[in-house]
Parts: sequence; C-alpha cells; structure tokens
Amino acid sequence: MNRIKLFQIIIAIIAVLIIIRLFYWQFISDISIGSDAFLKETEIPASRGEIYASDNFPLVANQEAFLIYGKPHELNQPVTDIAKKLAPNLISPKYATVSAGLSEAESQKKDQEIKDKEEELSSKLENKNLYWVQLARKVPSAIYKNIQNMKIQGLGFEKDEKRNYPEASMAAQLLGFVGYNKFGQDTGYFGLEGFWDRILKGKSGRLGQEQDPFGLPILIGKYQPIKPKKGSSLYLSIDRSIQFIVENELKNAVIKYGAKQGTIIVANPSNGRILAMATYPTYEPEFRLEFDENLYKNPAVADNFEPGSIFKLITMSAALDSSVIEPDTRCSCNGPRQIGGFEISTWNKKYYPNSTMTEVIQHSDNVGMTFVAEKLGLNKFYEYILKFGFSKATSIDLQGESDGSIRPKNEWREVDLATASFGQGIAITPIQMVQATSVIANGGKLIKPSIVVKIKNSSKEEILQTDGGRRIISQKTAAQVKEMMVNAVQNGETKAFAPKDLRIAGKTGTAQVPVAGHYDPNKTIASFIGFAPADEPKFVMLVRFSQPSSSPYGSETAAPTFFIIAKKLFNYFGIPLSN
Amino acid sequence: MLPVSDFKIRKRNSFNLIGRVRVKFLIIATLLVSSVFFAQLVFANALATDGIKLVQIQEEINKLEEENINMRTEIYQDSSLNSLNKKANQYGFENSSFITSF
Repeated sequence: MNRIKLFQIIIAIIAVLIIIRLFYWQFISDISIGSDAFLKETEIPASRGEIYASDNFPLVANQEAFLIYGKPHELNQPVTDIAKKLAPNLISPKYATVSAGLSEAESQKKDQEIKDKEEELSSKLENKNLYWVQLARKVPSAIYKNIQNMKIQGLGFEKDEKRNYPEASMAAQLLGFVGYNKFGQDTGYFGLEGFWDRILKGKSGRLGQEQDPFGLPILIGKYQPIKPKKGSSLYLSIDRSIQFIVENELKNAVIKYGAKQGTIIVANPSNGRILAMATYPTYEPEFRLEFDENLYKNPAVADNFEPGSIFKLITMSAALDSSVIEPDTRCSCNGPRQIGGFEISTWNKKYYPNSTMTEVIQHSDNVGMTFVAEKLGLNKFYEYILKFGFSKATSIDLQGESDGSIRPKNEWREVDLATASFGQGIAITPIQMVQATSVIANGGKLIKPSIVVKIKNSSKEEILQTDGGRRIISQKTAAQVKEMMVNAVQNGETKAFAPKDLRIAGKTGTAQVPVAGHYDPNKTIASFIGFAPADEPKFVMLVRFSQPSSSPYGSETAAPTFFIIAKKLFNYFGIPLSN
Repeated sequence: MLPVSDFKIRKRNSFNLIGRVRVKFLIIATLLVSSVFFAQLVFANALATDGIKLVQIQEEINKLEEENINMRTEIYQDSSLNSLNKKANQYGFENSSFITSF
C-alpha cells in the first residue's frame, strides 16, 4: 500500500514539473518567432537584369560565381598552408585562369600578386576572434571547384552571381560595370549599368521558414520564403554588327594615325536611336581593375571639346534658317581679318575671294564664317546654339553625361562670335554634335538620342518610344545645308578619300586644343561628321580623334575612317550605290 | 431483519446505471484518443517526409538552374562576334574588303 502511494506521489510530482515547465515555455520564456532555433531567415539576392543588343544577343549576362569565406576557429590546417593553396586561385582572374603564354614581366607580376594575396589571406585567417571572414567575392565556378576539391575544413561558399560579358570589351564605356556600394551590395556604375541601376538590380527576396531540429522545413509553418524579383532586362538599339565594325575600324585608325584617343558614334537620325558608340582605348569590364580608371567614363557623352569646323554646319543652318544669307550669297573673303584685336585666318592660309556660302563650307573657310556670323548677329546665333541643344545635356540614357560649355551671352565679345562661328571658344560633347547633325539629316527636327528600346521583366514589357522631336529649322534649310555638305565631301578637302559611288553628306573639323590659356598648334582634335545616304539617311556618324600624330587634320584622319566605315555600313544595310 | 428484495433492487440499479456508462465512456474515449494520436502520427510523418522531398526537389532545381546558367554562358561565349571572328581567321576566312567581286 505504501509503495503504491509512493509511486502515485512520484507520478504526481513529475506531472506537476512537466506542467510548470510547459507553463514556463508557454507564458514566461520569451521564445521569439525570429529565433534561430527554428526559424531560418536569410536575404536572397536578386539576379540583375541582362542587357541585350538589338539582335537579342546579350552584351551583359549573369554567370555563376561564389563568395568564399573562412571560419578561422574551424580551420584544421596551418593558416600559411591554406593561404599558399588558395592564393594562386584568388588573384586577378586574368592570371588565375591563364598560366601559359605569359610574358616574363607578366609572370613576375603574377608571382608578386600571389605573394601579396598569401599575406592578405594569412592575416585574415589568423584572426581567431572572428567567427566568419570573407576571403573573396565573385569567384568563377571553375576556380570554386578547384578550391572545393582541396577539401579544406573551415572554408565555406555562398552563391554570389557575377556579370558576364560574352563580347568581352565591346561597348564597354557604353555599358558601364557593376561594383559594390558601401554596404557591399552590387551597384551599377557608369554607362547603362549606372543610369538604369534601379531597374536592373531587381528586389532581394527573404528566406524565412520554420525548421525542425534537423533543419528540414516545417511545411505548416507561418513563414514562407519571399522569392527575389529578378531585375528587368534592357534591350538596346545598339546593333552588334555595326558596333563590331566600328570598334575594329576605330582601333585600326587610332593606331594608324597615332591618336591619343578615338571616339565614334553612329545613330539613326530619324528617331535618335544610337546604333553604335565606341571609344578606343577601351577596357574590359570583367577585368576592370586591371585598367586605368580614366577609361571607365564614356568620352562620347562625357567629354567636352572644341568642335572646330564641324560646328560651321550649325552656324550656316542658323543663318540660312534666319534668311540672312542664301547658299549663293557671296562674301569677299579675300584675306585674314582683324576682329577685336585678333587675326582670323583660314586653316591653310588660302583665301577664296567672292566665295558663295556653299564654297565657304567646301573650303572650310573661317573668314567666310565670320562673315556669316556677323550677318546673323550674336542674339540670333546664340538662340540657335541653344535651339540645337548645346549647353545642356541631351538626356541620353547613360550615366555621366556632360552639359558642354557655352558661356552666358552677356560674356561674349566680338571675337567670341567670330571664333564660335567656326567652332572655337565653345565646348560641346560628341553626342550633342550627333544630335545637332541629325537635325540636318532628318529635315529639321531635334530628337533626343536614346539607347534603350525596351525594358522587360517576367511580368511585363515596356517599349520606350522616342519623342517625335521638335522642329528647330525648316526642311528647306536642312536640305540646303545637306547639299552644302554633299558638295564639301565631293569637292572639298576630303575629295581624294571620298568614295565616288556613295552620296555622303559630311564636314571635316580640325580644332586646336586649348592648353594653359592658349591654343597648342601641335595638338588638335580631328573630326568628321556626316550622314548617308544623303537623300534618305540611314545613319549619322561622328568620328573624332584626339591629338592624332600622323596628321593633325580631320580631312586626313577622321574623314578616311568615316568613309571606310560608311562603305561597310552601305553593304550592311544593303543600300544601292549611287552610280 | 431487512427484506431481501430491497437489498437486491438497490444493488442492481447501482451496477447498471453508473458502471456500464463509465466503461463505455472509457472505451470510446480511448478509441478516440488513440485514433487522434495515430492520425497525428500519420500526418506528422507525411509532413516530415514532404519536407525532405521539398528539399530534394529544391536542390535538383538549383542544380539544373546552375547547369543552365553555365551552359548559356558557354553558348554566349562561343557565339560572340569576337569568338567567331577569331575562329574565322583561324580557318582562313578573309575580310570582305580583300575580296574582289565582279
């Protein structure tokens, strides 16, 4: 009887203890819902949207990559040994993936990089106070597999998607690149990546799911994962074939003419879409850290330069549109002129008395242009400069666009009006010049240049329409200037290089570069701008070289390059030859 | 002396009304608790198994996605104009500008 009672008492005590414990867990203990014990909550980064050329081939895609981290207290090998094993894999991908074919200098650089990396890894892994230390980010899958095969205890891997550039350096300055912001998150810089960063990056997801003690998800749990939303993809007007042709010819030309830099823009004048935009020297976005940071910016939209004679087209358009001259108006133009204490002369010191306006453009006559500017007057000339879109950014969808530099009208002196008429003393950007020349090509409308045609994500597709443009000069004026340009190509300085069977409208430019308050006669910006076919233009193109050494003139450097590319574009577009 | 019939009647009533109900109640309750307990076991087991299946499916999806991305990357690289240009040069194709057409 006593034993039964004792047993009952023990059972009762156990029951009471269990009840007390349950009461404690239920009401007293603060077991929050977010406790790691049963809830796993991690951020799932969203994939960035891709960037496609007009043929739907990706210029920028995503590739699998990994973040490698170490847990110093879990390492079972000496830190120096681990660092030695890892370092050759974690140096610049340029060296990490290529072992053969390196020059002696490159081999030495590689060895030095390995040594530096070893020291860096050792110092990171030696800190036993750290639970987790990041060793490398965006490690390609081939290298990740190498490291995984080493089976080093204490190393861990997380997915860390990486940008992939199938066409390597193609349109690098146009595309921009992806770097990290101050929180270590992927962020676009420069070009399209910078301008469209918010659209491209998407929205991170969250993995919040209740788990059992074995880490398996509890399906009836309250917290379900929130899927990341991939960024939208951009579809560009960039034609990959034209871009390829332009980049190859630009590279050849920059080397041939010994130029410091070259830039080419090809656009469709009827809608402002950019077909190609290239600069040489360029860089490879994948190995961007190997290149000079100055190469990251896109000179086609960011560089201010004095346009020189290509700007005569704008002055002439303004004067014709204002009806202060006609194409057959004649100027004396019989020698250099003194204006505001400065001598204005022609580029080759040749003078053509009694020239028509068409001949002024044909000979690229600075003195003739001062005549035009005087007829036009400062107010009208300034008004047209603004109308053509100079002095403010074109609002092209690229990061880092510059406004150009046109001084306020009240600061202009007599000589400024004269020099501006032939494109000196003002600074514009290459894209502004392309936009302005497109006005002549399309019959008088100023259309905003653009690159992105379509934005697409998993749920919707948005077509970005171009604006219809606004008329700034009459069709008659545009046609008159066009004929002047055709004449300039066929009978002007470029006569020797111009293809006889193509009807191209164009104008050369050679601008001296201002250095420390004066113009350096040996440093020029040589350029050529034009469109073709002249009567129904498919493209407008600017070719610009900075400081060519073989010849300072646009007619001997930029113009031949323009014609070589134009021939290929005629072929590409299937445009029949004139003759 | 008490009448025998009175004693018998009282005893029979007590046994039928309370005892038989209690036994039935206990049997039903036991069956109910057992079936609930068994059902819970079955459902819990199913859920646990589904959890494992879900993880396996997710792993398979991830693996296929990774392979898909890697293959796509390879295709892009091999079909890029840069790569085709290099291959064309290797195979002896020449730039169209060097070719004379009649």
